[in-house]
Amino acid sequence: METLRLEATQYTPEIVLDPAGVIAFSGKSYPENTFDFYQPVMDWLEQYFSSELPERTVVNMEIIYFNSSSSKLFFDMFDLMEEASAEHALEVNWIYDPENESAREAGEDFIEDFDSLTLNLVEKG
Amino acid sequence: MDIQAIEKILDADGIVFLTYGGFITQSLIAGMTDALERESEKKDLNQGLANNIFVIFIELSQNMMNYSKSREVEGDTFDPKGLIMVGKGENDAYYVLSQNILNDSDKNKILPKLEEIGQLDNDGLKKRYRELRKTGRDSHGQGAGIGFYEIAKRCESISYEFIPIGEGKYYFQFKAIVK
Repeated sequence: METLRLEATQYTPEIVLDPAGVIAFSGKSYPENTFDFYQPVMDWLEQYFSSELPERTVVNMEIIYFNSSSSKLFFDMFDLMEEASAEHALEVNWIYDPENESAREAGEDFIEDFDSLTLNLVEKG
Repeated sequence: MDIQAIEKILDADGIVFLTYGGFITQSLIAGMTDALERESEKKDLNQGLANNIFVIFIELSQNMMNYSKSREVEGDTFDPKGLIMVGKGENDAYYVLSQNILNDSDKNKILPKLEEIGQLDNDGLKKRYRELRKTGRDSHGQGAGIGFYEIAKRCESISYEFIPIGEGKYYFQFKAIVK
């Protein structure tokens, strides 16, 4: 599999999907058509989880703010990851700025929704 | 044309940002959000509060954009008379206000959601939001259908009105107060 890399725009985050097991999202997320925009990402992830995996996968999510359809999309993505993590070491770091209360709350909500997904709240130092 | 008169109104009502008329596009929304970000940095707004304002602004303006787009698909020539503003009200509260023209079918989609939101307390709202978000992969249309719940979660209070203007059309006025 090849690395998928998308540059950040004013309304989409920088995305790096590396088959060596490092997945990262960083920036803002409010695309015009959220589900179209993230389709290649979801396709990549599905293919990744069904191929030979590295020892572990680390997902770094640092999203400053996002619209409601991105919220839904991230939910679907975590759902996919939770499924994969039943047989694979995977953890998600939800990274936020200490001053960004709403980003922390969003992370807490996701933790409550995904019992068996390792989701760490990480305050940026 | 008296631009200063407009300026006076903006100053008197503490309006920090206003856009009116025409079509709203994604690049316009991104540009306006960027301007709002600069404004909030200048005013040294708390980041959590600022993000709530941005997200509410984005939800409302993307809603308007999507209504206009769906009208275009139907081949309607239609002026949505979109208006959106952000202002500073009393006690350091901010408000985001929007107005646009909707038809009956839009109203019938939105009103039940707004009525439900009105009956929920904070915990109930949070619970409902997460319930709705959980609708399963690939079960979504243009948006996730949770935009107004997102807005309500991020603000103190919302108020709205559908003002009939004939031919099954309404002015939809919406206000969110953020603290």
